[in-house]
Amino acid sequence: MSTPSVRTIELDPRIIRWTLISAQVLALTVYLLGAGFLLRTSGGTLFLFSVVAPAMVLLATLALAGVALYRYLRRSSLFAFALFEPGDIILQQGDQGDFAYFIQQGEVEVFRRDTEVETVIARLKKGQHFGETALISNAPHHATVRARTRVRVAMLGKRKFLHMLRFVHPAQGDLMSTMNQQATRQAAKRAKAAAQSRKD
Amino acid sequence: MSCVKRQIADLVEYGLCAALVVSLPPEATAQQHAFQQDPVDQYMSRFLTVVILIGLGLVLWSLSRYRGRDIGAISWGFLIAGTSIFPMMLTGVGTILALERVRTVPLCGSCHLTMRSYVDDMMNPESNSLAAVHYTNRYIAENQCYECHTSYGMLGTLEAKKQGVIDVYKYYTHTFQLPLQLRHPYRDGDCLKCHAGATKWIAAHEESQQRIFAGELTCMQCHRETNPAHHQTLEAREFNP
Repeated sequence: MSTPSVRTIELDPRIIRWTLISAQVLALTVYLLGAGFLLRTSGGTLFLFSVVAPAMVLLATLALAGVALYRYLRRSSLFAFALFEPGDIILQQGDQGDFAYFIQQGEVEVFRRDTEVETVIARLKKGQHFGETALISNAPHHATVRARTRVRVAMLGKRKFLHMLRFVHPAQGDLMSTMNQQATRQAAKRAKAAAQSRKD
Repeated sequence: MSCVKRQIADLVEYGLCAALVVSLPPEATAQQHAFQQDPVDQYMSRFLTVVILIGLGLVLWSLSRYRGRDIGAISWGFLIAGTSIFPMMLTGVGTILALERVRTVPLCGSCHLTMRSYVDDMMNPESNSLAAVHYTNRYIAENQCYECHTSYGMLGTLEAKKQGVIDVYKYYTHTFQLPLQLRHPYRDGDCLKCHAGATKWIAAHEESQQRIFAGELTCMQCHRETNPAHHQTLEAREFNP
């Protein structure tokens, strides 16, 4: 079994940090060019101050605006996004639920492990979701979910998910329907397994 | 918290002291009388000095305190003010000062390898060049180079800026040729904009003024021999390899 290797889709904090430091270094250079122009006005210092410095200010401002926009979008975004490689465990049976997962790309399989036997319960693909049962019931995950292909999921945190359920009734209906379908599938599988064991 | 407040207070105090010291007029302008100083230059310089010092303080403080991390509203305040607002103020307001200073004689003379000799001649009371006559008698109050060498209009300004950038490049790469040549023949309009209509000029040019206005006769055709526009000094002539 592959070890979990969640790769969330977000910028490396070091990139953001160095972008901000670069913007500040550009600003420092602008101040120095300004001081050079004020203290000793010549063709060279005038050229640097009136042509190069505005370009630097523009670059620094764009860098700052880019980071600010990224931060704003991250903060106001409903979802976090993650990529999983084939074989990665997305959520583990018995763990507490933190997120509801919405598959944007790829395919996963849901399986239970009872006394060393793995039973595949379902295969889910783009447009379907999982992990929400544990959030609603506040119980541990009853199954494990593994990526079959390269999977991209949108992850909705527990608090936001429950908040959404309270206010968005169509979503509530949709999720309940999915849960019912899953329960029906599981019941059918169990009944089939029981009938098989009786026959044996 | 009190430590941070004390550091901020120190920073402000040092900044203000430095602003006062740096914003004192430079030696060259200190020799001028108060009524000869350009108020735009004077106040803009002081304003920009304060902007630079505050901006530098903000950026240095932000760099030392947060080291590129954006934690909370205060760090963002420092970032936006120091990295964007103050530099914009500096370059924006600085452009007005740049437009003022670009006309001054010291700026023209700052390209000393090429222009210094012309400026020296202009300031020489014993020289009989037209530039010296106009300068030493204060026929032109200020920005003497600019007043006689700017015949461009709105569209021409862009052309002049382009030529100025080329001049800066040639100067700093030492690819200029001496003696310097005007790019275009000197326009009579730059003389006539002041002289035409003056009583003394009308009296002296009674016979020739119609031909001058018609462009049949140029100012330099008569004045080049008796009063050349500039005398070029040995220094400038010898520089050219």
